[in-house]
Amino acid sequence: MTDAQQFEAFMRNYQNMVFSTSLRLVANQAEAEDICQEVFLKAYERFGELRESPTVGGWLKTVATNLSLNHLSRYRSRWSFFSELLGGTEGEARELEFPSGQDIEEDLARADRQELVERALQKLPAAQRVPLVLYHLEGLRYEDIAAKLNISLGKVKTDIFRGREALRKRLVSQLGEEVGAAQEQ
Amino acid sequence: MNYEQEQKLEAQIARELKALPELAAPPTLIARVLAAIELRAALPWFRRSWQTWPAALQASSLLVLLAVFGGLCFAGWEVSQIGSAVAAQKLGGIFSAASAIWNALNALAGAMVLVVHKLGTGFLIGCGVAIAFAYAMFVLLGAAYFRLAFARR
Repeated sequence: MTDAQQFEAFMRNYQNMVFSTSLRLVANQAEAEDICQEVFLKAYERFGELRESPTVGGWLKTVATNLSLNHLSRYRSRWSFFSELLGGTEGEARELEFPSGQDIEEDLARADRQELVERALQKLPAAQRVPLVLYHLEGLRYEDIAAKLNISLGKVKTDIFRGREALRKRLVSQLGEEVGAAQEQ
Repeated sequence: MNYEQEQKLEAQIARELKALPELAAPPTLIARVLAAIELRAALPWFRRSWQTWPAALQASSLLVLLAVFGGLCFAGWEVSQIGSAVAAQKLGGIFSAASAIWNALNALAGAMVLVVHKLGTGFLIGCGVAIAFAYAMFVLLGAAYFRLAFARR
């Protein structure tokens, strides 16, 4: 297998993880694609070390997270005032693809629910979505999130609390049931 | 919301979010990255980042930079050895030019104060209100333009 083929196989293995990480943070398909490209170009420069590394997944996730946060701080701040002034509609509903399973009905119900959760998450304002994703999906501690976003610990906690509350309200209104009810049954 | 409810909400949201599967990357992503890699590889060495230069070029460029740095340090030391009289003469010239600029600025400020006294505070308040109004209009028009131009259809 040539180097190019090996790198293609490497991208195939990790592209969904990198894309999910970026999209959930920036909530914009085109921007997430740009970030993925940048992540894999960085990975290509260090492919010699990375292909043997057991922590390559973690490295890619960290780079994707950092580039997404850089992107948000660089490009979003200048627009956020205007976009939120008249009621932001950040992250409109988009078509998402989910893997298919054997039990089609059950899979469809689960996929529908996951799609609703995904859409509700994407519709949260960045100030709530980003710390929520970093806490629940990236597993960062409050202190680490505060350091990464350069905000106070209190603000991180408040934003995460507000994000959870906003997500719960959206899910209750869309699913017509209390959040987590399906899993509790 | 009390502490118990807060803990329950945290657990419920964590469950919902952790149940989310990975999103499928666009099918064009791999081709896009490979094209970008090819494009980079086609660039001449001097347009690529220093880390990707051939080792011999990296070493020689480092040597050149060190030589330039050494030369600048030596030139700086030589200049500091030049007689103080020459330096004082040059500094005197610079300060005399600065004092002329200072006098002109002082005269300008005096004229501004006179104008303000003549116009009266009513006129100045009017100007302030007009500027604030123009600024507010700029913000509102900018927001409206942004919403129209970047609205998702």
